[in-house]
Amino acid sequence: MRVEKVNEGVGLTDPSASGWSAVAPVTVSLAPVGLQAQPNEYIREAWKDRAYGQTPEAKLSAASDGQRLYVRVEWQDDAAPNREFQDAVGAVFPTNGTGAIATLGDAEKPVALWFWEHGRPSALRLISRGPGRFRKADGDELSALGTLKDGRWSVVFSGPASAAARGKIGLAVWNGSNDERAGLAAVSQEWLPLELD
Amino acid sequence: MTTVEAKTGQLAWVYDLNKCIGCQTCSVACKVLWTRDEGEKHQWWCSVNTMPGLGTPKNWEEMGGGADPKTGKPRPGHQPTREEFGGGFDYNYYEVFYGGSAGKAHLEPQAPRENRWAMNWDEDQGAGEWPNSYFYYLPRMCNHCSNPVCVQACVTGALSKGENGLVLRDEEICMGDRFCMEACPYKKIYFNYDRHVAQQCIGCFPRIEAGVAPACVRQCPGRAVFIGYLDDAESAVHKLVKQWKIALPLHAEAGTGPNVYYVPPLSPYRLNEDMSIDYETPRIPPEYLESQFGPEVHDALSTLRSEMESVRNGGKSEMLSTLIAYKWQELLGPFTVDPATLTPSANGEA
Repeated sequence: MRVEKVNEGVGLTDPSASGWSAVAPVTVSLAPVGLQAQPNEYIREAWKDRAYGQTPEAKLSAASDGQRLYVRVEWQDDAAPNREFQDAVGAVFPTNGTGAIATLGDAEKPVALWFWEHGRPSALRLISRGPGRFRKADGDELSALGTLKDGRWSVVFSGPASAAARGKIGLAVWNGSNDERAGLAAVSQEWLPLELD
Repeated sequence: MTTVEAKTGQLAWVYDLNKCIGCQTCSVACKVLWTRDEGEKHQWWCSVNTMPGLGTPKNWEEMGGGADPKTGKPRPGHQPTREEFGGGFDYNYYEVFYGGSAGKAHLEPQAPRENRWAMNWDEDQGAGEWPNSYFYYLPRMCNHCSNPVCVQACVTGALSKGENGLVLRDEEICMGDRFCMEACPYKKIYFNYDRHVAQQCIGCFPRIEAGVAPACVRQCPGRAVFIGYLDDAESAVHKLVKQWKIALPLHAEAGTGPNVYYVPPLSPYRLNEDMSIDYETPRIPPEYLESQFGPEVHDALSTLRSEMESVRNGGKSEMLSTLIAYKWQELLGPFTVDPATLTPSANGEA
């Protein structure tokens, strides 16, 4: 997918910013991370008869002003909110040019996540070595803003433009009202190439 | 059962339920040390409830979790919600003290009345009908299990079985996924909604490392709590658990190998309708105690009774002397250092 080149100061950090109307989104199909790939026996047992990761698709668009990479994700979620678990989304990047997107990385080939969760005070940079096997990572400034309107979440990540050089992107979506967290997510099954304008 | 080897011996607690008066000093001693920060209002890592009772979180005994006792494999459980823990209420202090209401306003939790719940909410309700009503107090905390299913269920590796056999959490690693809370059969893990991490009893490890007993033990005015290394044959906890077998785990059938033990409650006898004493029937139903402490409870109570009888007849009993704890330092195991000598950080202060 194309990373739209924009001028500095266009103001894309808000998901409803008018600048996004000039950036064409692509629709990304999502599918649940497999039960057998879940990281421990407890989760495989507790979720063996319970559906998760049912968010079918999300719209993804990206833009960069040379300093920042803006990633906008939009998806339908009209389920009633859940006090315990919150909706969340991750923009997934390979590390060292590789990594299994469908399992959010593995022990040998971790992937990097920009992670936003409704209610969390700030976005997180994560390194993932498999479904839910996340570690918080240091790095350049990352911020995110999410809005819910008419049953659709729109979230914009704003991170360093250098992330676009990772060359590929994927998505992960968690439906909080279904208690989804960790590896219980809907993820894109293939990397999308990130092409800078 | 899968047993995680403790690195420097396994610490164990023994609560003598015949001496616990339900005063909550252990609960408060813990609270003021460890759970005064943001998102911790509703957290009571140590709490005392009246049994039979629903306890905290409400109805925790029906929430599942634990492990198959034969295979050690974790069993699914319910993650207790904020409402089920309850508590952490704000109160109308301003209205009462400064609002000019002159005695008309009273302190009231600022939470909806319906479904209101909190730690110790069903205090002293117990069970049975007068004159045969009954209850006892049950202090509870993380059991620092030998088969900690919370550790097995944790995805990020934040939980581990560490030194002294304590189950500890690295809050920097915890992502707040809460599988630990589902898996724990004792439901003694809390979620910090402000900081997005789960939290539980840390066994006062900074005090342990400094030779000071945990706050729940040190502060107990009833001399009802012992701590020590389970495999130290000279320790009170070893004698009570392993030698005399009068201290038993709670819900051992949950399969996690808990390391908090209880001397089960003796019971007055039932009264007949004419108020004569029925010497054949204890007021606390033995089957209820068995549901809590397993079939070994009957032998444990029998041992206690025969030892008491022996002392009444002029005999001596190391067991009863241990339980009485003539010198309160005997409760502390090797952790007899005065906490007043601690640095602020080891005493829970930043």
